[in-house]
Amino acid sequence: MRKFLNLAIAFFVLVLLIGGKALAISPKNYIIIGTTDKISSLDPAKGYDYLSCNILQNIMEGLVKYVPGTTKIVPGLAKSWKISKDGLVYTFYLKKGLKFSNGDPINAKVFKFSIDRVIKLKQDPSFLLSDVVKKVEVVNDTEFKIYLKYPFAPFINILAFTVSYPVDPKVYSKDKVYNGIPVASGPYMVKKWVRGQQIELVRNPYYSGKKAKTPIILVKLYRNANTLYIALLNGEIDVAYRTLLPQQFAKIQKNKHFISMVGPSPFIREIVFNVKYKPFNNRKIREAIAYAVDRKQIVKDVFNNQVTPLYTLIPKGMWGHKPVMPHHNIKKAEEILKSLGYSKSNPLKITLWYSPSHYGSTEAALALTIKNQLEKTGLVKCQLKSAEWATYVDYWNKGIMGMFLLGWYPDYFDPDDYMWPFLASSASNGMGSFYSNKKVDELLLKARKVVDKKERAKIYYQVQEIMAKDVPYVPLFQGKQRVVAKPNIKGLLLDPVQIFRYYLLYKK
Amino acid sequence: MKSYILTRIGLSIPMILIILTIVFFVLRVLPGNPVLAMLGPKAPPSVVKAMEHQMGLDKPILVQYVDYLKNIAKGDFGHSTVTGMPVLKELMQKFPATLELTIFSMAVAVFIGIFYGTIAAYKLGTPIDISARIYSIFVYSFPVFWFGLMLQLIFGVWLHWLPVSGESSPFMTPDPIHTGIYVLDAIINGQWDVLKDSLEHLILPSLTLGIVISSIFVRMVRANVVLTLSQQFVVAARARGVKEKTVLFKHALKNALPPILTIMGLQFALLLGGAVLTEVTFSWPGIGSYLVNRIHSRDFAAIQGTIVFFAIFVAIISILVDVINAWINPRVRY
Repeated sequence: MRKFLNLAIAFFVLVLLIGGKALAISPKNYIIIGTTDKISSLDPAKGYDYLSCNILQNIMEGLVKYVPGTTKIVPGLAKSWKISKDGLVYTFYLKKGLKFSNGDPINAKVFKFSIDRVIKLKQDPSFLLSDVVKKVEVVNDTEFKIYLKYPFAPFINILAFTVSYPVDPKVYSKDKVYNGIPVASGPYMVKKWVRGQQIELVRNPYYSGKKAKTPIILVKLYRNANTLYIALLNGEIDVAYRTLLPQQFAKIQKNKHFISMVGPSPFIREIVFNVKYKPFNNRKIREAIAYAVDRKQIVKDVFNNQVTPLYTLIPKGMWGHKPVMPHHNIKKAEEILKSLGYSKSNPLKITLWYSPSHYGSTEAALALTIKNQLEKTGLVKCQLKSAEWATYVDYWNKGIMGMFLLGWYPDYFDPDDYMWPFLASSASNGMGSFYSNKKVDELLLKARKVVDKKERAKIYYQVQEIMAKDVPYVPLFQGKQRVVAKPNIKGLLLDPVQIFRYYLLYKK
Repeated sequence: MKSYILTRIGLSIPMILIILTIVFFVLRVLPGNPVLAMLGPKAPPSVVKAMEHQMGLDKPILVQYVDYLKNIAKGDFGHSTVTGMPVLKELMQKFPATLELTIFSMAVAVFIGIFYGTIAAYKLGTPIDISARIYSIFVYSFPVFWFGLMLQLIFGVWLHWLPVSGESSPFMTPDPIHTGIYVLDAIINGQWDVLKDSLEHLILPSLTLGIVISSIFVRMVRANVVLTLSQQFVVAARARGVKEKTVLFKHALKNALPPILTIMGLQFALLLGGAVLTEVTFSWPGIGSYLVNRIHSRDFAAIQGTIVFFAIFVAIISILVDVINAWINPRVRY
């Protein structure tokens, strides 16, 4: 026993001492990205959360794409396209000789298959296509037409989103979500995917566009901000993207062993009211709460000034943005509540719901801050309740929560995506608000059909005014993207549509 | 002996059945709809219905329960609602990493437990003994994730000695993989740099878990050795002039071991529970990480499967320990 133990220890020490690291792959050839996000599905018909989409954006390409760093649309797999005068028919001409990462051809039939498949599978993001697409018609190998149900100005933006990416009909089944290793059409392809742990991307040899700058990208998934932070400090990852705690990021900014960047983000957060739920069915109560919320304090106390206050649903920097919501005014809030008969002895009793981890580790602090702000009026008694994400989703769908915190990432970069899902009667139940206003429905539909941007902006101004009056939501703030990296990492780009482009990264 | 083993196995069956039942019903009482968690909030009702039907969630709960028991008896743990893969297959992929972690942690715990415990018993009442008792209480109260974080900070962030996440450095996995236990595979393949890398990755997680678990061992070993030291055969050995070291380790410790062995078997359950937390803290790609991932997505089949897997595993270990015990010490059989 003793001998064996000694032997084991000697062996252990020996192994630790001898032999430097004989890495088979030079560190220059790979970059490790750490994140706290999760991958839910890499099937374009299903993936709808941030990281799933972001991986897809690096391994696939659609008909059109954004110029990095801008919101400008340029041809992707399509060579060019035509839109009919009535805005109902889009004709696409594909580049010649396109191939998937397994060598299978990408042609017009593939696109028809892919779009039809998304609509048939009816997964999360399918409504983006099924709401507007009537049918797809193949003309020849490189030409096809998409017919719309009605003219829809932001349609081209939807085609740049992951849901419209082509999938290989020989691999992806027509009536089943695909769970295997994705077949790529973009700069990278997936080599190895250890679910819940990491995913390894290598260059796609058949990609027709610009070659990815680094041969291998390794995306490592961390459980929470702490584990990500420590791995970063220990030098185990090259880039940390989404999401360190605000305090951790502030600390890293002062650390000279790392570089950090802050960029705009189209991500917004808001309070949702279930307008059918007592007492939030009373517009005045919603208004009072909107007055009581102090966004500046939230931004400062909870987020270390790493987000910006937002006074409408359309983020700042996007056309159509009009800050219509009332600013913090506690007197106004008190006035309204008093006029409704609430007093110190008879306060308004409400519950604010939040989900503790889905939006990062700051969520409980955010909820608490809002609770304190409401109670500062002296006329409100606010209880906090929380539920894990899966339960949370269930609750808002069933209308169990009257007032709760939610956030939104756009599917396509257009004001429509910040208005329609929130305010249209057909969509607002998906947001747990159940808001419905005929005038708003009319205006939103009209804005979809008008092509002229200025004209559309005017309509959105109108809708936002109505929203400020009805207060089905209290927009809180707009996020910022933050990335931290080792100083030798170049090519970091935080772009306005929040596509984090792995293929531009390289090591110096 | 044979009948003893059979009785032990027979006794484990109701235990596993009870666990299966609890897991099944608790998961269904919890709020949160697995279908919605799977399809997302925007799924149309017709699709939700179809999915519920496909997953058998529209059947009466008792029918679901019976189906579930039948399937497990056949070794069918169901299919993950997230990946569509058989749960058992996924578990078997993750299991080697967890096994590796638990074996090394157990080694750490046993090592600390036996040495510290024996010496404390020998030096009964001295500062060493008191330190051992304080150590056990103190360490036992450490939350695993906190302790792990501290080790990560000290040995990773400050000293830069050891890696803090994962099972290996990028591109340092053994090739080919035979068992899935990296240390073993690296030895089989003769890839010494990979072995070194795997061991480095193992140190912090296994120390974390091992030290926390060792607290119980220290106490147990100490108590048992104190007991044996007071027995007459020890006095007799001393009277014959046997060396103190031999008395302590060869005579006293050996006779104190059987009850400790039983405890070690039982500790396996605690070890697996601790492994879940350790794996999460160290991004260790084992069953613990798997379980936490799937809890987040309400993957019923996977959660159920993992707990059942753990339960059966613990049951098997405890049977094994009992059998070994009975074999060493025939008195146990009666």
